[in-house]
Amino acid sequence: MASVEITGLAKRFGAVEVIRGLDLSVADGSFCALLGPSGCGKSTMLRMIAGLESVSEGTIRIGAREVTHLEPAKRGVAMVFQNYALYPHLTVAQNITFSMSLAGESKAKQAEAAARVAKTLQLETLLDRRPAALSGGQRQRVAIGRALVRDPQVFLFDEPLSNLDALLRGQMRLELARLHADLGRTMVYVTHDQVEAMTLADKIVVLDKGKISQMGAPLDLYNAPANRFVAGFIGSPAMNFLHARALSTAQGLEVTLGGATLTLPARAIPAGEHPVDLGVRPEDIRLTNAGEGKLSGRIAVVEALGNTTFIHVDTDRGQVNVQTDAALRLEVGGTVGLAFDLTKVHVFDATGLSLPKV
Amino acid sequence: MSGISPPARRFDLGSALLTLLTIIAALIWFFPVYWGIVTSLRYDDQTVKDFALIPMDPTLKNYIFDIENSNLPIWYLNSTIVSVGVTFLVVFMGATTGFAISQLNFPGRKALWWMILASFMVPVSALIVNHFIIIADMKLLNTHIGIILPMLIAPVTVIVYKQFFDGLPKEFREAAVMDGAKEYQLFFRVFLPMNWGVTTALAIITFIGAWNSFLWPFLAAQDEMMMTVTVGITAVQDTFGVAYGRVLAGAVLAGLPVATAYLLFQRRVTQAITLSAGIKG
Repeated sequence: MASVEITGLAKRFGAVEVIRGLDLSVADGSFCALLGPSGCGKSTMLRMIAGLESVSEGTIRIGAREVTHLEPAKRGVAMVFQNYALYPHLTVAQNITFSMSLAGESKAKQAEAAARVAKTLQLETLLDRRPAALSGGQRQRVAIGRALVRDPQVFLFDEPLSNLDALLRGQMRLELARLHADLGRTMVYVTHDQVEAMTLADKIVVLDKGKISQMGAPLDLYNAPANRFVAGFIGSPAMNFLHARALSTAQGLEVTLGGATLTLPARAIPAGEHPVDLGVRPEDIRLTNAGEGKLSGRIAVVEALGNTTFIHVDTDRGQVNVQTDAALRLEVGGTVGLAFDLTKVHVFDATGLSLPKV
Repeated sequence: MSGISPPARRFDLGSALLTLLTIIAALIWFFPVYWGIVTSLRYDDQTVKDFALIPMDPTLKNYIFDIENSNLPIWYLNSTIVSVGVTFLVVFMGATTGFAISQLNFPGRKALWWMILASFMVPVSALIVNHFIIIADMKLLNTHIGIILPMLIAPVTVIVYKQFFDGLPKEFREAAVMDGAKEYQLFFRVFLPMNWGVTTALAIITFIGAWNSFLWPFLAAQDEMMMTVTVGITAVQDTFGVAYGRVLAGAVLAGLPVATAYLLFQRRVTQAITLSAGIKG
């Protein structure tokens, strides 16, 4: 068991800086998700922790040891790759015990370890098969088994569920959560899927252009995003953004949204009127009769999911996505009004930073 | 009885003509080979009289004569030593060089790669005099090593291996490195075994090429006891004059191992030709 401490980490490819002076602390036994869009540097960061990518600047500590320039096999980490990287010429058992075989462990020990890992991952009946004869989910379990057999201090996952279909992804998410609960090991998990990050991690690190945009517990990021980037990235479907103008008054923050005026709880904002973006999640908007509410518009799309319905409304401030009761029957083309839960409206200044309540 | 029957095959004139042309071309190609085999089964006095497709009075006399009156068994042994040696060394060196150029970072890597590519521009026949002088200077004429050494120049093998190793996802290497694999373990336990199909195909085609090679073994082996089969049968011709039956029996014996190898590993040979297609030009 070990924590991961990253200090001042930077990675440059020639003149291009993909990771910039990054500090991160992953507590012992924590499940930390590195979340961000393609090209944000999350995989590079994971590969630097693994030792597969050299570090341009900064230090990495795993437990009590500094491992910044240590070779991968000596870091006490194991990695699960997106494409599984299972050797096609080896059986499941041989794939799982490949590291032991390289280290010259006896066949008996290897067989024992393969059986133990197979039991944990329900692979007992597949040990003699080759990867080509396995389904995607089974392959992913073998890849996890290969990491498990090394008994690492830290598990690293590089988008491990990306190649699976939606149903299997859901199942594997549960299995990974169970595995983390059973093992209690530190896990660092790279993903661009915020659902995976929200459901698996106890700490999410949102990366944007090689820098940490925000980190914290999943619900903290959901409820109090530090900036527009995080607000837009966390939450599915995404938060709605509406351009408005804001003025701090004695009653609170007075926001002009088209023809309507909203009075929100006071925010730390300089005196005078300023352009802002309001951020409202679909579940914090209520449909009203046309002419009521703060905005009105025409229904463009109705997405009925069974348990809930999303209504996309075209307004003069842009399209707004509203989550409604599944029982509500609405027709495309109808006109509706929109009312906001004012306590849950986020306000971002012109630079994209969230304006905190005062 | 199920109600589903396979769709009726429609007669296609184009396909039929193409098939007919292919059969004719195959017959034209095969006839000399067939005629050679048939002639080798005839008595000498019959070779210019009996023109039947199937010999009237077939005999193995020519084969027995060749085996008893020439050094054919020794030539076979020499061919085997040379072909197996060339095959093993070409494949091993091709694989290791391909691995190094594809997977390792070392000074001069690109220069080495360009040199290997450039070596295509020089035909082997243009180097044969140089080879002869060098091998003679090294006192290696009439030795197995002397015959083998110049035959090890096989850039196509390096290129095929490099291309194959380049095409493997980098995660295979990284996963093995995470597991503690050293370079030699990466090569022998990951890259080469993932590649047995290519290795087998290249080995077979190299073996066939080495067995069939004539010009260099002809120059390097002047001593009859060091000759390979392909060189040796020319000696049979010289010895037996125009004894067609005996000459052709020698030719059949010389080509037998290669033909057998081809028949056994047809699919692999085709694969090797496909792999090196566009490289050899």
